[in-house]
Amino acid sequence: MIEVEALSRRYGRRFAVNDLSFRVEPGEIVGFLGPNGAGKTTTLRMLTGYLAPTSGDIRIDGIDAVSDSIRARARLGYMPEGVPLYGEMRVHEYLRHRGALKNVAKLTEAVDRSLQLAGVADARNRILGQLSKGYRQRVGLADALIADPPILILDEPTSGLDPNQVRQFRELVRSFHGEKTVLLSTHILSEVEAVCDRVIIIREGKKVADLAPGDSETSLEEVFAELTTAGPSEASS
Amino acid sequence: MSSAWVVMKRELGSFFVSPLAYVVLTAWLVWNGVVFWVLTEFYSRNAVSSGASTPLSGFFGGSALFFIPLLVFVPVLTMRLVAAEKQSGTIETLLTAPISATSVVLGKYGASLVIWCSLWVPTLIYAWIMSQHGSVDWGATTASYFGVFWLGAYFMAVGLLMSVVAPTQIIAAVLAFVTLGVLFTVGIGEFVLDGTAREVCGYLSMWGHMQSFSKGVVDTRHLVFDISVAVFAIGVSIGALKARRHG
Repeated sequence: MIEVEALSRRYGRRFAVNDLSFRVEPGEIVGFLGPNGAGKTTTLRMLTGYLAPTSGDIRIDGIDAVSDSIRARARLGYMPEGVPLYGEMRVHEYLRHRGALKNVAKLTEAVDRSLQLAGVADARNRILGQLSKGYRQRVGLADALIADPPILILDEPTSGLDPNQVRQFRELVRSFHGEKTVLLSTHILSEVEAVCDRVIIIREGKKVADLAPGDSETSLEEVFAELTTAGPSEASS
Repeated sequence: MSSAWVVMKRELGSFFVSPLAYVVLTAWLVWNGVVFWVLTEFYSRNAVSSGASTPLSGFFGGSALFFIPLLVFVPVLTMRLVAAEKQSGTIETLLTAPISATSVVLGKYGASLVIWCSLWVPTLIYAWIMSQHGSVDWGATTASYFGVFWLGAYFMAVGLLMSVVAPTQIIAAVLAFVTLGVLFTVGIGEFVLDGTAREVCGYLSMWGHMQSFSKGVVDTRHLVFDISVAVFAIGVSIGALKARRHG
């Protein structure tokens, strides 16, 4: 479970995230939507302990993610935007390294399992620096999955994947339904409709909507356009 | 602590598969090979004036030639430690893993010490060569390597700190070069100034440090200084890495 309460993050005088509150229930898959620069990545970075909030509370499975960051991080699998990797390592070496950092007990089995799940078993001996974007994304996903965490936080997980890979990815995320808590950011609306139970839309660091894809009579695309373009932002849910 | 070990292993793995490692190690040995050859020539031609010193003691403590390559090589070896992770973005995956900033810094520092030792181990061959052609004062040689280790503990910690605070590797290298260069130059004040200033400079002096070790004198003042600087630089590195979350 993810609980966010009155979360704010300021860069100088500008608020990247401003008084944001939401919950993701256990086993729920939630899409985190917003135009570029809305504060999605900043929010996810605060959830994962990479950035400290200016104010507000974050609880990861009931653990305070600000004061007890290491224990909270142990509950998370995080795939950052752009998937930074060590270019000189091989895929399986990298996953072993990541698994060791995350204190995974049966490392060899965990590496094999995450390679399978993420669909990169065929690339296990390849060098990370030579992988295509699609493979890099999936190695990042394998890293997020390696410790079998109860919570997944994925920042633009399908960017760079081809249509088949996108379909496989969506099936995989769907299969976590009821088992893992997933928060994924995206600006692909069809993705939200395909995999998410609920969608949180933010704009200029504030929440402007929190709804299920089927909630509205108009399409998600229209809702999104209406909420995130012209006019002053207005909180609604 | 086991996560520091994981960080250290990866750091060493990535260093020793990089071309940088072999370029640096080769250049280092070529440079010091030339220095050692020049010293040996000098002592063999000036047996009387050289007095009690030997090519080995001259190598470790007798000349600025010992420090000039170090001022260049140390920044090159330490610049990548943390700054490379910032440039490639892997710092984000590293710092969001469930490990502490202390483990990250200690792991990186441990790796830098191993790299430091890998520079020096091949130079043992100089001692072996000397032992084949004359007598070697093994006590003084052991003290020299002991001094070199602690000097490295100090240098690598300074380089690591610069790599933590600098946004890029090049800036980290420049900062480390300037810091060590200034400390080295201030130390030369020991031979220039008088009174208290002379004592302060003597305390900081890298040259004086290696001179006493090369004669087999283990001076605890130098050890205390090296260890204090290392502990201070590591402490600040940990603090700076934690503070990044607020930046």
